[in-house]
Amino acid sequence: MLRQPAVRTVIAISLGAIAGALCRYYLGLGIGHLLGTPIPYGTLVVNITGCFAMGLLATLSLGQVISFHPDLRLLLLTGFLGSYTTFSSYELDSAKLLSEKDLQADLIYWTGSVLLGFISLQLGIALSEWILKKLDRDWLS
Amino acid sequence: MTPSDFLPVWIALGAIPGALSRYYLTLLCAQRFDGDFPFGTFLINLSGAFLMGFLTTELQKISTEQWLNGFATIGFLGAYTTFSTFALDFSNLLKLGNTRRALLYGLGSPLGGFLAVEMGIALAQHL
Repeated sequence: MLRQPAVRTVIAISLGAIAGALCRYYLGLGIGHLLGTPIPYGTLVVNITGCFAMGLLATLSLGQVISFHPDLRLLLLTGFLGSYTTFSSYELDSAKLLSEKDLQADLIYWTGSVLLGFISLQLGIALSEWILKKLDRDWLS
Repeated sequence: MTPSDFLPVWIALGAIPGALSRYYLTLLCAQRFDGDFPFGTFLINLSGAFLMGFLTTELQKISTEQWLNGFATIGFLGAYTTFSTFALDFSNLLKLGNTRRALLYGLGSPLGGFLAVEMGIALAQHL
């Protein structure tokens, strides 16, 4: 059964998704306990770290030096990172902050998530390009 | 023992169909729509945001069961929608040099998602 690509796809995504969602939940709980501030740092930290990992792994897996098995790519990118980061909680948190009339925190959170997510993704891409270049050079020499 | 004692199990059970529907919907949209605009992730994030607003408001009215919340919102919707693919898609559109599409996607997702959450909340309050 495991030889069928369709079955392996479903299993890879499911395993990644379970780990991703549970990491998001427990990290959110932990951060919520540490910082009891109006800004929902849990979702913010999850989304920013997830974007960094996405930039890193998506670029690494497309490089020619390191090869990722397609199932591993599905498990890590589609399953784990897709499920670890979340868009719906981000928008719900924003709506909640707005309904609490905390306009400043709302704007910081709403725009900050997108900006910081984008920046951390670029950092992840830059790091993996550096790793790929270094590996490439070490291999050639 | 109540079902809510197994919250992580409910989250996991919700995350599986959430991530799988995201994957297959993205594939379907890539087949249906040509071009490099990531319609799949766009539609998924907007519909997920709508459902998030609707379900959290509705669940507050009908039950306080933690397991239902864990399964539907933390598990399913959390895994169905994605922030990391949104950022990656946006970055790829920028790299392709298609500024108009990149801005439409990069601004349209957060703005559209915000409107979708508010619409979901409003609909649940009306019912």
